[in-house]
Amino acid sequence: MIDNGLLVQMLIGALLGLSVYLPLAAGQLSLATPAFYAVGGTLAALLSTRWSALGATADGGFPVPSLLLEMALGGLLAGLLALLVGRLVLRLQGIYLAIATIALVEIVRVAILNLPFTGGAVGIFAIPQPFATAAGYLLPALALLAVAGWLCQRLERMPLGRAMAAIRDDELAARCMGIDTTRVKLSAFVLSAVLAGSTGALAAHFLNTWNARQGSFDASITTLAFVILGGSRTWLGPVVGGLLLTALPELLRPVGDVRLVLFGLVILLGPVLAPQGLITPALLERLGGWGLRSATDRKTEEAQP
Amino acid sequence: MSQPLLEVRELSRRFGGLLAVDRVSFAVQPGEIFGLIGPNGAGKTTLFNLISGVTPPSSGAVLWRGEPITGQPPHRLNRLGLARTFQNLRLFEGLSVLENVLVALQRRPRSSAAGGLLNSAGHRRAERQRLQAAWQLLEELGLTALAERQAGTLAYGDRRRLEMARALATGPSLLLLDEPAAGLNPAEKDQLCQLIGGLRQRHQLTVIIIEHHVPLLMRLCDRMAVLDFGVRIALGTPEEVRRDPQVIEAYLGTGGHAS
Ligand SMILES: Nc1ncnc2c1ncn2[C@@H]1O[C@H](COP(=O)(O)OP(=O)(O)O)[C@@H](O)[C@H]1O
Ligand SMILES: [Mg+2]
Repeated sequence: MIDNGLLVQMLIGALLGLSVYLPLAAGQLSLATPAFYAVGGTLAALLSTRWSALGATADGGFPVPSLLLEMALGGLLAGLLALLVGRLVLRLQGIYLAIATIALVEIVRVAILNLPFTGGAVGIFAIPQPFATAAGYLLPALALLAVAGWLCQRLERMPLGRAMAAIRDDELAARCMGIDTTRVKLSAFVLSAVLAGSTGALAAHFLNTWNARQGSFDASITTLAFVILGGSRTWLGPVVGGLLLTALPELLRPVGDVRLVLFGLVILLGPVLAPQGLITPALLERLGGWGLRSATDRKTEEAQP
Repeated sequence: MSQPLLEVRELSRRFGGLLAVDRVSFAVQPGEIFGLIGPNGAGKTTLFNLISGVTPPSSGAVLWRGEPITGQPPHRLNRLGLARTFQNLRLFEGLSVLENVLVALQRRPRSSAAGGLLNSAGHRRAERQRLQAAWQLLEELGLTALAERQAGTLAYGDRRRLEMARALATGPSLLLLDEPAAGLNPAEKDQLCQLIGGLRQRHQLTVIIIEHHVPLLMRLCDRMAVLDFGVRIALGTPEEVRRDPQVIEAYLGTGGHAS
């Protein structure tokens, strides 16, 4: 069954799905999300266990404002890293970018594993808890998702978001229309990193322990699957994909080991049965027709002269 | 003569063993419609790629209002006032017709990302202006009825006009048209001719147009250059070019419809 703990995990999945979606919305297949997630999580784990000014109590409690501060710092650090790395790797196209970003994930993982202060393979444990129960994490996770969704929604009506869509369709044509594609791609990459970094900071507290395994290559593939299954043409796609694919292994637990096979089948068959993903702009438009006014609809109305 | 808007000097581009553009020079005056003809493979599109910054030249220089601009990236050149269309149509196929034009209106007017995120009054005003400009361009190019259609689903002639609308949306002073009449029937070609003339008037444009259909070019252009195997073999008014013996031999003489 879906309990609060699983709900929080699902929301984290949705957030990571959005983090993969942002560069993809600009045509960039970046798998770096787990690296930025790891950076944010490690920073939060370190700060909250080492820096007493944040207010961790002896019985493992933690002030909520300090959590929010860590989420901001986690996003900031991940964003700065993305700014540095992005200039380099975003020159690569397609599969080469994917491979370079996987390399980044590995570098970050090995670095965190071997740094003298990150606890090695065991990692950092007894991370203080701002909330007594898992339910407490629902609010900040939902709030972060709301901010991310709002950002994606705003992007669609802004030059930056339109430039991203243009680059995705035809980068050369976009350049010839005056779009500084390097800058636009870097912006999407940095936004993606900020989101993953903040999510990592929240996740570190929620999970209570944090180690290098949190940001590994398999997470690159899982988070990509969120976007592929959910669809990458609208930001609701990766949200739905992240929610579903995080919940599925847990919901399938009663069927035993077969669950991994079923999970694999969903990932395999999803793109075959729904190549555009589950959530497409066309679907949203149809939903709009049923009375649920969709973003696409409103955009159309607004556009009339 | 006044200062040319665009000048190419001894411009060359080599692809392996092939000199696709071979020391080509000419200057285009403000307000002119300048034709570029030549058989297939003569290097016309390559020349556009060199001028628009898509391909770096092997040697030579491009000057914009007398200033060298060789080697600048395409988006910088576009912001200077140089826009182009593509022979092989490169629309943003997943976007609507209106969005294709809006993308190109990014900077007219400019608005800050922060304003956009917060949907500030300034941003809303800028968006209204962009929308208004976009609808006006669609109207001018006869695309209003198709505004919500996905660009990838348009008929061929409509795509060609959308390419022009999108290029115009960047607010150019120089428009490079790469075979805008290709694939159009004679009636459509006539309309296109009038359209280009009208656009030049209303947008104070200078135009360089690549076209195979010689009568159309003769009618439309103030001056023209002829390319053959990468070399500029003639330059002048349509009358002068028509009488040029080298041109007659290389191009017009062989039927004049190499495409
Ligand atoms: N990117 C490229 N790489 C190699 N050869 C090219 C490239 N672009 C064009 N060419 C060659 O340069 C010559 C001129 O091509 P192009 O400029 O397209 O001619 P046109 O537009 O006049 O028909 C052709 O022989 C073509 O094959
Ligand atoms: Mg050509």
